[in-house]
Amino acid sequence: MILMVSSNFFVILKHLICFCSVQTKQIGLSHTLPMDWQGQKLAELLMQIILGVFAVAAFVAGYSMGSFQTMLLIYAGGVGVTTLFIVPNWPFFNRHPLNWLDPVEVERHPKPQALTSKKKSSSKHK
Amino acid sequence: MHSFLYRANAVLTFSVMVLAAICAMASFSDYLNVPSPTAHLKVVNINWLQKQPNGNDEVSLKLDISADLQSLFTWNAKQVFVFVAAEYATSQNALNQVSLWDGIIPSKEHAKFTIQTNNKYRFIDQGSNLRGKDFNLTLHWHVMPKTGKMFVDKIVITGYRLPETYI
Repeated sequence: MILMVSSNFFVILKHLICFCSVQTKQIGLSHTLPMDWQGQKLAELLMQIILGVFAVAAFVAGYSMGSFQTMLLIYAGGVGVTTLFIVPNWPFFNRHPLNWLDPVEVERHPKPQALTSKKKSSSKHK
Repeated sequence: MHSFLYRANAVLTFSVMVLAAICAMASFSDYLNVPSPTAHLKVVNINWLQKQPNGNDEVSLKLDISADLQSLFTWNAKQVFVFVAAEYATSQNALNQVSLWDGIIPSKEHAKFTIQTNNKYRFIDQGSNLRGKDFNLTLHWHVMPKTGKMFVDKIVITGYRLPETYI
């Protein structure tokens, strides 16, 4: 049964990779820019919630119907839904993009040369 | 969660962990089940009781085994392994257990059965103690789960006796 779940997962993964390579516009999936921090937090939260809900639903359904297979199928569906929601880089994961400085702007503010001030500036960036 | 592969790995790992959790819950749900199995074992006929050339006694029995093991099947039961054993004491061994017949019950529908058969496995003593021997017949079962703990139990029926002389 675990083999079925993981093969189901890999089939979906293959389709997603094809889909992502077709989308090169920024409007669609972004695979040139990684997800922003808020998006990553959201992705992890979504994964835990969706899998948790499907796990509980699968157990309750399987137990009440007396069918172990039902539980596994509902859960496999849940894994597929989770994959679909959080693995591709959807636009709603990129609503808080990081504003890196323009290269021209960076040249106007050269990095300080002294060792001690370098340490200070690197701890500030953290 | 910064890249496609990272997220894919996170989903895969977390989903397998949660799968382990729901399988553990399924296994624990077996404790909610209170089984009530019944069995009747009869020795229809003693075919023969002989002393083998190596000095050991052997007996061939015809058994009538009927049982209702339907209450053992939960949603988490894969199959039930059932076997009948003869138990007796000798001066040499405090307890002898000889398996006479076994079978696999694949589902609840097959769990209520009656079978008349000669002993599937040979009933040979370690020595020559079987004449006039009182013995018990026990029906053991192993409920093999789809995940988790295997439950083992038995029913003991007393009051069987072998003939006084060789047949």
